[in-house]
This record gives sequence, C-alpha cells and structure tokens, in this order.
Amino acid sequence: MLVALFALVAAVALAACGGGDTVGGGSDNEVETAQPGPVEGEFNISNWVGYIDKGEGSTIEEFEAKYPGTTVNYSEDINDNSDFFGKIQPLLDQGESGGRSMFVVTDWMAKQMNDLGYLQQIDYADVPNVDANLKESLRSPAFDPDRSFSIPWQSGMTGLLVNKRLAPDVTNINDLFDPQYKGKVTVLTEMRDVIPLMMKADGIDPEDATKEDWLEQIDQLQEAVDSGQLRRFTGNDYIQDLTNENVVAVIGWSGDIALVENDDVEFVMPEDGCILWSDNMVIPVGAPNTAAALAWADFVYDPKVQADISDYVRYVSPVEGIEEVNPSLAEDELVNPPEDFTADCSTQPNPPGSAEDVQEVTESFQAVVTQ
Amino acid sequence: MTARRRLVPYGLLAPGAIWLALFFVIPMYFMGELALRSGTFTEGFQPAFEVSNFSDALSGNTDQFVRSFVYAGTATLIALLIAYPLSYAIALRAGRFKLLLLFAVVAPFFTTYLIRTIAWKTILSDDSPAVSVLQFLHLVPEDGRVLATGAAVIAGLTYNFLPFMILPIYASLDRIDTSLIEAGKDLYASSTQTFLRVTLPITAPGIVAGVLLTFIPAVGDYVNAEILGGTGTAMIGNVIQSLYLEQRNYPEAAALSFIMMLAILAVVLVYLRVAGSGAFMGDDEERS
Repeated sequence: MLVALFALVAAVALAACGGGDTVGGGSDNEVETAQPGPVEGEFNISNWVGYIDKGEGSTIEEFEAKYPGTTVNYSEDINDNSDFFGKIQPLLDQGESGGRSMFVVTDWMAKQMNDLGYLQQIDYADVPNVDANLKESLRSPAFDPDRSFSIPWQSGMTGLLVNKRLAPDVTNINDLFDPQYKGKVTVLTEMRDVIPLMMKADGIDPEDATKEDWLEQIDQLQEAVDSGQLRRFTGNDYIQDLTNENVVAVIGWSGDIALVENDDVEFVMPEDGCILWSDNMVIPVGAPNTAAALAWADFVYDPKVQADISDYVRYVSPVEGIEEVNPSLAEDELVNPPEDFTADCSTQPNPPGSAEDVQEVTESFQAVVTQ
Repeated sequence: MTARRRLVPYGLLAPGAIWLALFFVIPMYFMGELALRSGTFTEGFQPAFEVSNFSDALSGNTDQFVRSFVYAGTATLIALLIAYPLSYAIALRAGRFKLLLLFAVVAPFFTTYLIRTIAWKTILSDDSPAVSVLQFLHLVPEDGRVLATGAAVIAGLTYNFLPFMILPIYASLDRIDTSLIEAGKDLYASSTQTFLRVTLPITAPGIVAGVLLTFIPAVGDYVNAEILGGTGTAMIGNVIQSLYLEQRNYPEAAALSFIMMLAILAVVLVYLRVAGSGAFMGDDEERS
C-alpha cells in the first residue's frame, strides 16, 4: 500500500512537471506590445533598494492620487541582476511574471531578457513624457537602439568611493592594489563594472577588449585575492563597511554616496574614467495591468516628479528639465555630471564573442569570487 | 476488523510518507536528472548522461569542500564546549532560574537569522571593542582583523547554531536521575570520575543529537560566509548559489548539491558508527 501511494504521488507529480523537456534556453512567446488602457487596480513593481522615497507624500502616493482606484505595490526585491534573473527566469520562461507589471534591471540584463523573448515592446505614443523628456544621450544605446523595450529609471557611474581622511591618495583603480591598503579595499561582484574599470586603468579600451583581455584582468584580480589585498566582493553592502571604516576605498556606485553615513567618504572619479550604465524599467511577458505600468513610466518622466526622485536618490537622472524645477540639482555633479567630468567614461560593456565565450569569462570571474 | 487494524499503521505513516514523496523523493529525482544534463543555459540543457558534471563539480571545488567541513566541524566543537557546561548549569544548578535561563537561550530566535548575523558585522568590525581586546591579548595581530576572515565565519556558525546544541543536551541532562550521581560518590568515585563514568554516558544521546543538529546545517550554510566572510572563505553553499544564480550552470549546481549530500551522509554515518548508534538509541549494552 505504501509503495502504491509513493507510485501514485510520483506519477501525478511527473505528469504535472513533464520531465524530459529542455530546461532553460529562452521562451517561444510571441513578442507583444504592452497594451495601454484605463489606469486602475493593483500595480506591482519591483525595484532596487533605496531607489525612491517611500515616505509621506512620496511619488508612489502622488501616483495613486492621480489615478484613483490604483494601488501601487512597490517592492525593493532586486539586489543583483543575475540573482533576480535566476529567481524569475523559470516564471518568465512559462510566459508569467509572478504578478509583476514592471521591474528595473541594468542595460545588459534588459538585453539578455529581451533576447530570450521575456519582455514586451513599448509604443512611445503611450508614454508621451518619456518621448519628450528622455535625455538625448540615452535615446539610442547600443543594446536597444530604438529604446523599444527599455526606459531608463536612473543612470549612474561606477567609480571609487574613498575615505579621504584614511586614503587621500586613491585616485586611480590601480591605487586599490597598493600594499598599504591591504585588506582595506573591496570590489563589486558585478563583473561588468570591475573588469572594465581595471582595463581602463591599464590603458585598454573596454569597447575593443578581447576575451583574452578580460581573462587577463580576472587573473590580476585572482592575484589580489591570493595576496590578501582584497577584503571582499560586495553588492552595495560596502555602504556599512565604509560607514564603519572597515574599508578605506572601494569600487562602488555613485549615488550610494547618499547612503554612506561618514562625512570623510566621497565619490572619486577614477583618473581613467568611470563606467556608465542605466537601470531600466521593463515590462515582462505575462505582466498584468500594463496600462498602469505605462502610466507609471510616463508619470516619473514628468520633470516635477523626477526632481523629487532625483533629490532623494542622487543618481544621474535620465530626464531633461529637472534643474528648472529644483535648481540645486544642477550643481550636484553626481545628479547632473558636467560633460568634462564624464569625458573619459565608458558605457558598461559585455564580454565579447559568442554566448560560450561570455559564459567562459563569467565562470572565470565567479571562480575568483567564490574562492 | 482485523483488516482494518492491519491498515492502521499505514494510515499513520501516510502523512509523513506523502510529505517525503512530494518534497524529498520527487525533487531528488528531478535534481538527479538535471545533474546529468548537458548544454548551456542559452541553448537549453538537454537530457543526456553527462557524468562529467560530477567530476567537474568535485575537482573545481576541492578547497571549498574541505573548508566547509573544517568550518562546520570547528563550529560544532566550539558549540559543544560552550553548550555542555551551560546546559549542565541550567539543568542541575539553576534552581528557580531554570526557565528564565532557557528562555535566554531561545530568545535570540525571536529575531531573524539574517539580522542576527548582520549584527555580528558590527560586533566584529575592525575598530570594535571586541577586536581591540583580542588584539590586546595578542590573539589577533595588531594590524589584523576578524571580520571578513574564516574566524568570523566560524564565529557566526557557532553563534547561529548554538541553541541546536544546547537544547538536546539540556533535555538529556534534565532527565538525569541525580541519585545515580550520588551513588557514584557513595562508591568513592571522585567528581571527575563520576562525571566521566555516570553523567557523560547518560547524556551521550543528547550530545550525539546536538552534534548532528549543529553540524549538518552548518556544512551547508551559505549566509555566514556571505555576510561575515571575505575573499577565500567561500563554503560549498556559496559555490552552489553562484553556479545556480550567477553562472546559471544548473547541471553542475545540481551535481555539486548531490556530492555535498553524499559527503554529509558519509561523515554522519562514520560519526554515528564511532560515537555509537547505541548511545543515540539509548541502548545501554553498547556503552559498556
């Protein structure tokens, strides 16, 4: 009887899951365009931590007031592109979004998702504010030349966050490898930020870098791990280490300076330039309430709304005209970097070559991280 | 009537059996099948018989394997050394404070695991009083640190799993018939002899249970190394996380999980053999 029971349960489960199919490999979903419509009901959006003010009179409440009958469920459940993708990919592959109408991912991840057929297309007639106010420099990035599936949420710079009192002379990425700072420096787990920054410091243009260039920089990183120079690989949990002065200099993201509670810590533009990227709003396949998602994207591209967001997060705003709303933002070089400030910066690159080449580079990097 | 009576044990087994089938046997089957697939994430993983996933998973991560067992073993040993005297005091010496002390052991559980581990980052941060004391005692070099080293990971593991060691040992000490200890003294045994030949053997089942409850989850833990560790302190849990979520090499992640499970099973079996499954079952004869 017990055996029969096991067999029954196993048979049911096997039938339900359909063993033997291919796992992974992208979906066969047809590419859809996000549908507009009346804005009401539940709207679920996933974003990164600290990317909006959630307090009294926040952007979220203003949106709900503008569209009565709409409830925004704003979750800060994204900490890492790969990690988020790993969690949501099985759903997307089935044409579902786990109830999310929209989420925010970095350029390369947006492209990867779109290549796998996991994203809906956006018609700019449905988001007139985006069409009117998106900064010229962000209108045709290489990964999405027509901005057909991605709308920037915020842009940012990856560079150095330095404690000027304890490490006044750190101005170059290679200064992180100075033995006097042994065990007092960290770098990110985000390969596409760390390796290109190291290349730039060694005089290699990340745009033209070969697979061998990537692997060679990963070897250098390995040496820094072996010698004990690097303390950790981090996400934005370096914020705590910088605040407590456990570390004196890190590779980090520009806007996080607003979250470090230590007046000695500053964002330092590396001598050889920074890495530029955007985190983008995307609408996944199977998203409920795409009308609200489109309305939300349009809403945050109103310069009045965007000025509030910018004032809080201190990342580079993708929206034109916020300086007229809040003149103090014009002087903040993290929110509104002057052209000569970012002159030497590069757009965040992907490792070159085929999917197998990218996988090889990713595996080498991860082998260093999980040592 | 007799037919019905014959079915009763099966009926009693059913909830557990269905649970195990649904949440252990079936996932294991899928994991085993996945571990043998070949291909890449972008192309899709095809059914195959790719045994090399297992050898790759093993050969590429030997350091992390050894480290996982060393860290978990050290944490278990320290936890045992802390837990036994503490349980002894609570069970046999605490009097009316017994419940209060037990509550103090369990109280940290009211806060989440994650928050408690993150709190250790502050306790062990480079300029903290705790680290200054360790430096003063020359247990940590003057320019050395604790946070982001293997020592911090072991400290976190010990702290997080300590109650799992204390509670079973406490339970076995609490049940002890104190007249046996008095009898030992009556028979001219010293305190040490009484402890070694009476108390310790009686509480052996509690120790065995505590060691297993601490060691098994500690080997597979990934949170402590993630939060308190630095470079070169990754445990197998961290490698599996990276393989699954970062590298999306599902087959190798599954293979590695399997190897880990078998390794833990082997260690536990050897341990039970040595520590005496008799003690675990409360069988007196094996002890003599």
